[in-house]
Amino acid sequence: MIRMYIKTMFRNLWKNKTFSFINIMGLSVGLTSCLLIAVYIKQQLDFDAFQEKGNRIARVLMEYSFEGSTVSNKGNYTSVRVPLVLKNNFPEVEDAVILAQTKRIVQTGANLITENRFMYAGTSFFKMFSFKMLKGDAGTALAAPFQVLLTASTAKKYFGHTDPVGKTLRLTGDSNLYRVTGVVADCPAASQIQFDFLASFSSLGISKEHEESYWDANYTTYVLLRNREALTTLQAKLPAFMKEEMEGKHATVNFDLEPFRKVHLYSGYDAFLPNVPIRYIYILAGVAALILVIACFTYINLSTARSAERAKEVGIRKVAGANKGQLFWQFIGESALLCFIAVFVGMAAGALLLPAFSRLIGQPVAVASLFSLPILGVAAGIILLVSFTAGCYPALVLSAFQPVKVLKGAFKHAGQGQRLRRALIIFQFIISVFLIVSTCIIQQQLYYIRHKKLGYDREHIVKLPIPFTVENTDLIKSEFKQDAGVLQVARTNNTPVNMVSGYNMRTPDMPENAQIAVTANPIDNEVLPAIGLQLAAGANLTEQDIIDANGNGGANERLYHFILNESAARQLGWTPQEAIGKKMFLDESRPGYVRGVVKDFNFQSLQHSIKPIVLFSSTYGGTLLIKISGAHMPQTIAFLQSKWKQLMPDRPFEYRFLDDEYNDLYENELRFGKLMNVFAAIAIFLACAGLFGLSVYTAQQRIKEIGVRKVLGAATGSIIFLLSRDFIKLALIASMIAFPFAWWFMRSWLQHYEYRIAMSGWVFAAAALATLLIALVTVSVQATRAALSNPVKALRSE
Amino acid sequence: MIKITNLEKIYRTEEVETVALNDLSFEVRDGEFVAVMGPSGCGKSTLLNILGLLDDPDAGSFLFNGVEVAKFNERKRADMRKKNIGFVFQSFNLIDELTVFENVELPLMYAGVKKSERKARVDEVLEKVQIMHRRNHFPQQLSGGQQQRVAVARAVVNKPKLILADEPTGNLDSSNGNEVMQMLTDLNEAGTTIVMVTHSEHDARYSHRIIRMLDGHTVTENILV
Ligand SMILES: Nc1ncnc2c1ncn2[C@@H]1O[C@H](COP(=O)(O)OP(=O)(O)OP(=O)(O)O)[C@@H](O)[C@H]1O
Ligand SMILES: [Mg+2]
Repeated sequence: MIRMYIKTMFRNLWKNKTFSFINIMGLSVGLTSCLLIAVYIKQQLDFDAFQEKGNRIARVLMEYSFEGSTVSNKGNYTSVRVPLVLKNNFPEVEDAVILAQTKRIVQTGANLITENRFMYAGTSFFKMFSFKMLKGDAGTALAAPFQVLLTASTAKKYFGHTDPVGKTLRLTGDSNLYRVTGVVADCPAASQIQFDFLASFSSLGISKEHEESYWDANYTTYVLLRNREALTTLQAKLPAFMKEEMEGKHATVNFDLEPFRKVHLYSGYDAFLPNVPIRYIYILAGVAALILVIACFTYINLSTARSAERAKEVGIRKVAGANKGQLFWQFIGESALLCFIAVFVGMAAGALLLPAFSRLIGQPVAVASLFSLPILGVAAGIILLVSFTAGCYPALVLSAFQPVKVLKGAFKHAGQGQRLRRALIIFQFIISVFLIVSTCIIQQQLYYIRHKKLGYDREHIVKLPIPFTVENTDLIKSEFKQDAGVLQVARTNNTPVNMVSGYNMRTPDMPENAQIAVTANPIDNEVLPAIGLQLAAGANLTEQDIIDANGNGGANERLYHFILNESAARQLGWTPQEAIGKKMFLDESRPGYVRGVVKDFNFQSLQHSIKPIVLFSSTYGGTLLIKISGAHMPQTIAFLQSKWKQLMPDRPFEYRFLDDEYNDLYENELRFGKLMNVFAAIAIFLACAGLFGLSVYTAQQRIKEIGVRKVLGAATGSIIFLLSRDFIKLALIASMIAFPFAWWFMRSWLQHYEYRIAMSGWVFAAAALATLLIALVTVSVQATRAALSNPVKALRSE
Repeated sequence: MIKITNLEKIYRTEEVETVALNDLSFEVRDGEFVAVMGPSGCGKSTLLNILGLLDDPDAGSFLFNGVEVAKFNERKRADMRKKNIGFVFQSFNLIDELTVFENVELPLMYAGVKKSERKARVDEVLEKVQIMHRRNHFPQQLSGGQQQRVAVARAVVNKPKLILADEPTGNLDSSNGNEVMQMLTDLNEAGTTIVMVTHSEHDARYSHRIIRMLDGHTVTENILV
C-alpha cells in the first residue's frame, strides 16, 4: 500500500514538474535558510558552553562616580585589587583571576610580528577555565614571570613541528625573554576568552601599591563562585563592603557581577571579542520562521489549487473503497515525503553553503555542527511540522471530496479554497513588504552610520601605531613630510573613532574632591588640522604648548593646554568663548589652561550620545595619524614604509585607514545588515516562486476561458490584465497591512541608536511599489504566455 | 437485493430546489440485469449514486440485502460499498498516475487483500477482459474501449454482488460498446446483479428489464425476458 502511494506520488511529482520543482525548491531553500540560521543561533546560544565551571563563573563590572557628580561610569575593567579583595573577603568566592589582553610584537630573527591576542592571566586561570593543555603543567605554567603558553596554531607558526616547550620568545619592549612552558589547544571560536599567547600576569610587573587602589582599572576580573546561587548573595554584600572601602575617598565604586554565560548575548560590554546582542538572535529566528511560513504557504497554495486535478483520483479511490482516513494519510504522507526530499536537498545545500555562510556571519562553523543532534532534531521537527501544517489542509480538503461530485466532471474549477489561497498570498505579501521595508531602513541606518558627518574627517588618514613614549617623534614627522602626499603627521593616543580613557576634571572654583568624570586623550598640535576638528572658539595648540607639556624636557614644571569640546565647556559652566584662557585641572596632576573649544564630534559609536571630552597637550601617545592626499596613495604608503624601516627598525609597519577602523566599530551591525539582506532576498524570492506557481496554475485553469475570449476578439493586453488584476489587488492590501508592523518594528530597532535616521514615507511607498512590480512581473510572465497562446490549441485540448 | 420505497432526493442550491428523485420505488432481485432509461436530467445518475451508496437519499427507504442503508453514515456506506458494489462509469475514471495493473488492484488494496492474492486476482480479471498484454501501460496509452475494459475489470475484481454502470458505452463506438455489453452479460450470467443506465435502446436489450424514468420517478417497467 505504502509503496503504491509513494509510486503515485513520484509519478504525480513528475507529471507536474513546475509545481513539484517550485514546492521542493521552496521548501529546500526555506529549510536551508532555517538550518543555517539554526546552526548560527545554536552556536551563539552554546557560546562558552565548553567551560565546565561556566555557570559558577561571573565577570566583574566596575561602576564608579565622583562625589558631587551625577555622571556614573561603568565598564568591564577592574584594578588588580579586585580579584584579591573578592577572594580574601567573601566566602562565596572560591577563586578569582585577572586577565589583560594586549598587543605585543614578537621578534623572530629579523621578522617582527604583531600579535593582537596576547593574553596575560593570573595563576588561577586553569583552575577556572577549561582550556585544554596539550603540553606542560597547568599548575605551574603561569606561576612565574615571563612564562608563556602558546596555542597549538601559534606553536606551529613559530616553531613548526619542533617541541616549543623550553624555547624562548623575544618581545619588543621587554628585556626579559619569555620561556614557553606549554601548549594549549586553540581557543574554540565560541569562547569569550580569546588568545594566541597566554603569559603569566606577573610578567607585567605591576607594583604592590597598585593592589591598594581601585583606580588603575585596566584589567578584566572573573570570579569562580562556590555555587551558582552565591552570585546573588555576593552581589548583595558588595555595596556595603565597597562603601567602607571607599570611605573618605570622595568617590563611590561598586561592582556588578555578570553570569559568565550571559556575557556574550546579554551584556552591554564586550568580552575579548565583540558580543552579539540577543535581539539579533530573536530577529534572525523570526526571519527563519517567516521564511519557513512562506515556503509552507506556497506549498499549501499550490496543493489546494491543484486539488481539482487530484479530485478525480480521490473520487475513484473512494469508489474503489478508500475511506476518508486512508486518503487523509495518503496526502499527509505525500507532503511528508516532499518535505523529506526537501530536507535532504536542504541539508546538502546547507553543507555546501556553510563556508559562504560562515564568512557571512564572520565565524567558523564546522560542517559537523550541521549534522549535530540538535540541528538534526530541528530538521526532523521541521519535517513533521511542515508536513503536518502544510499537508493537513490540502489533505483535509482533498479527502473530503465527494465522489459523486468530482466524478461527474462538474468539479472542474477549484473555486473551493479560493478565499484561503488569497489569505495566504496576502500573508506572504505582508511578510515580503515587511522585510523589504525593514531591510531598506536597516540599510539606510547603516549607510547613515557609515557616512554621517562625525565632526572630524576620516578619509585618507593613515593610522600607524608607535611606541607610547618614543622620543624621536619630531624626526619621524619631518622625514614623513618629505613626501608631497603627506599633509599632516599628528600624534595622539586614541583615534577619534573611539576615545575611551577615563579622567576627571575640575575648575579652580570647584573643591578638589568634586571631580567631574570625563573622557580625555593626549594630542599634539597637528591633530586638529589632521582630522579637521572645527574650532568653536579659541585656537589650536601651538608647538610651544607641546614643549611646555613636557616641562621643556623636564627642566621646568609641566604646563598643560587643553582643547575642550562644547559639551565639556558646558559642563564646566562656560560658553566656548568664556572658556578660552581659563585655568582647569585634568586629574589634579595636570593643571593647565584652555586653549580652544572644538565643536562637538562623535568620538564613540553612534549608539552613544556625545559626551564631554578633553584633549590635552602631550608629547606621548601610541598612535600617529597621517593625513595624506588621495592622489598617489600607494606611492605615499610605500614611502612611509621605507622611512619607517629606517627610523623604527624594531617595529613592524602596520598601518590602517581610519575609515576601516571606523567600520570595524560597526562590524556586528554591518554583518547583521548583510544577513538581513540575504534572508530577506530569500524570503521575497520564495514568495515570488509561490506566486509564480499559482499564476501558472491560474493561467492553466483558465486556458479555455482565454481561448474563448480570444476567439471572440479579446486583445492580448486585456487578457494579461484579467489574469494579473487579482494579484495586484492582493499586493496592495498586503502593503497596507504590513506598513504599521514594519514601522513599529523598525522604530524599536532604531531606538538602539542615539543617532538615527527618520523613517521616511518613500521607503514604504517604494517597498509597496517594489512588491507590486515583483508581483506583476511574476504573474504577467505567465499571463502573457497564456494570452499569446493559440486559442485553437487550448479549445481542442478540452 | 435492492428494494427502494418512496425514495426522494432534492438538490438545493441558493436559488433553486431541484427534485431529482420523487417518490421512487422499485425492486431489483438477486441476479437480475436491469436497464434504467429516460430523458436527460430525469434523475438516472442520481438514482445510481444512491444505489451505489455514494450519496444518501433525503427521504424514503433503501434496503440493501435486507439492511436499511438510507441513514448510514459515510463510514458505514464506504464499508458496505467496498464489500458489495462495483462501478463502471461513462468516462472511464481511471487514475492517470497508475498503470492498468495498479488501477485494477486498487479495490483489493483498500479491501486489505494480501499481495500474492492480489496479483493472482488482478491477472485473472485482466486475462478475462483481454488486456493482460497492456497491464503495465498507463491509461492515456490505451484506446477508449481498452480503458473501459480496464474499468470493468476494476469493477469486478473484488467479486462484487452488484455492478452499477452509468452509460458504460456512452463514450465508445458500437463495436467497443458491444464488447463491453457482452462482458456485462457474461458477468450477469455468472451471477452478478447489474443495474445499468443507458440512452441506447440497443444496449438496453441486453438486460432483463427496463425501468423508464421521467422527472424523478418511474413511468413504466418493460420486462424483456
Ligand atoms: N449536484 C447537483 N446540484 C443541483 N442539482 C443537481 C445536482 N446533480 C444533479 N442535479 C439535478 O438533478 C436532476 C437529475 O440529474 P441526473 O444527473 O440524475 O440526471 P440524469 O438522468 O443522469 O441525466 P443525463 O442523462 O443527462 O446524465 C437534474 O435536473 C440535475 O440538474
Ligand atoms: Mg447521468
